Amino acid sequence: MNIEQDTVAILKRISRRPIDPKPENELLKDLGFDSLEVLELIGELEEHFSITVPLNDLTHIRTVGQIVAEVRRLAVGEEQAS
Amino acid sequence: MTVAGMLAAAAASDRGGVRAVEHDGRETFRSYRAVLQEALAIAGALQASGLRAGDRVALVVPEVADFIRAFFGISAAGLVPVPLCPPAQAGDLPTFTRQSRHILAAGRANAVVTSADVAPLIDAGGLEPEPPILTIDRLQGARSLTAPMDAAADSPALLQFTSGSTAAPKGVVLTHANLQANLEAMTGPCGLAVTSADSAVSWLPLYHDMGLIGMLLSAVCTRDDITVLSPVLFLKRPTAWLEAISTHRATVSFAPTFAYELCVRRVKPSQIEALDLSSWRVAGCGAEPIRPETLDAFADRFAPAGFRASSFLPSYGLAEHSLAVTFAHGGLRLDAVDADALVRTGRAAPGANGSTRVVRLAACGRPFPDHEVRIVGGDGLPLRERHVGAIVARGPSVMRGYFDDPAATSEVLRDGWLHTGDLGYLAGGELFVCGRTKDLIVRQGRKHHPPDLEAALADVPGIRASGVAVVGIGRVGEDDEVAAVIEARASAAPDDLVDRARRRVRETSGLDLDRVIVAPPGTIPRTTSGKVKRAEIRERIKAGTLLER
Repeated sequence: MNIEQDTVAILKRISRRPIDPKPENELLKDLGFDSLEVLELIGELEEHFSITVPLNDLTHIRTVGQIVAEVRRLAVGEEQAS
Repeated sequence: MTVAGMLAAAAASDRGGVRAVEHDGRETFRSYRAVLQEALAIAGALQASGLRAGDRVALVVPEVADFIRAFFGISAAGLVPVPLCPPAQAGDLPTFTRQSRHILAAGRANAVVTSADVAPLIDAGGLEPEPPILTIDRLQGARSLTAPMDAAADSPALLQFTSGSTAAPKGVVLTHANLQANLEAMTGPCGLAVTSADSAVSWLPLYHDMGLIGMLLSAVCTRDDITVLSPVLFLKRPTAWLEAISTHRATVSFAPTFAYELCVRRVKPSQIEALDLSSWRVAGCGAEPIRPETLDAFADRFAPAGFRASSFLPSYGLAEHSLAVTFAHGGLRLDAVDADALVRTGRAAPGANGSTRVVRLAACGRPFPDHEVRIVGGDGLPLRERHVGAIVARGPSVMRGYFDDPAATSEVLRDGWLHTGDLGYLAGGELFVCGRTKDLIVRQGRKHHPPDLEAALADVPGIRASGVAVVGIGRVGEDDEVAAVIEARASAAPDDLVDRARRRVRETSGLDLDRVIVAPPGTIPRTTSGKVKRAEIRERIKAGTLLER
């Protein structure tokens, strides 16, 4: 499983306009996500990677790079736990 | 009866309870008896911290179960809860910090109850009074109260802020009598006629009236079970809402139109197969314009899961009326009217004729017993049926006023009538809602005040701080169109400005501007006192007489 590739694929699927996400892009500012789409994204990531994103992340994570890093951290944690 | 008194009555009846489903799916069930015990412990701790009856306590708690025990704890201590949107749902951190600080100031909060995670994000420094930040896990160890404090029926039970408005945050003061009147109306024989066979499911935010009063307090009032899902869980996985209804054989659940739309778009066929929605007898719909196409699509999609279109219950309400003003029974019943006549002459003429543009509006029902609704013209006198005018309401559910704001209060409470700010007409005694008299913008059930959006735009580079106007242009039966007019500095490139303006608004309020009009200085019409003349801007945009680039 390639976390970065999969995350970018999910980002593209959820966006209502064509996007080419780069690590430094902010979801709201650069990629045009609204708050509903951000939560849809989190839901899809949780399902795809079998993770649970902490509530606090929603206030702190802004960029594509931060999302990939957080998914990686959470997914590795899940693997080690199981 | 007080709000906490209602909980005590439910506890004494030994019936019912709350199942809380958190954002990560964790579930806990507590009987109303157990909720009361927790609330009384929190109430004891709040009193021990020096708070006095009538003090206002802000409540910023993202977890469902914690919110519920804290809310009833505040109430049981004779204090007034002031619910706030938690950071995860506010958009981003700066928005949360700004909104919460404004509400703490405008509500003159005497304390803040919050979670350990959220506490560091709250900025209450320098406020007068500066409220202590109390984390909920520390509100224990004091002696529990033995019963909820009593309070006069006409004393404040809840201070509900209608939005995170920065320009003019308005707190709706509801008394215990207000809440009781509205709860009895909603659950009683002319409302949902709730019995002990009913149970509810809600994903609606508890910091908003529909989730708090319409769902949670209604269930406590009728002593029925309720399952409350975190709104974050619903937005991540809309199917969680329908699964909860299916699993718990729930009979009552309300949501704004956009929630039904989200389910149509995002619940997968394989997930629908696993659902049984045949128990769902009241699928309430409110808080934003009711879009018949959306509800039709939902009914079609979920019919195989046992959903019945006759379960739809369109409703009309507003925070200043505690919550509900009218409920429509008998499913979605539509009035097809001539759209052009509606706009031009203010007449809701049946538009069955194939040659006219027809708009379909949902019947929202009749007022409850002891409550009145009228449609009035500019002179304040009642209009005849099928004439569009201002919707006004009177009765025991009408708020006491806006907190600490007599000017705003006297604007909407006139001669005992609440001026709702909405436009509508009556036909066959039933209410139809078709627009707004106020400048408020409603999108996806969220209310936005143009002055807030203007404030966000004012410091975008290239935009003159005094040269911004935002208006909502009402569209019958759907969300408002939102347009911004920007008076540009000569040096700024229009395309960049449009881009920056869109981004800023999206960033601060999560709202997408439909139209950005860049205009030369002096375009925005103002009153002599400098207030933006929004009605004139709206008209000129509609007429195409504002330069659009």
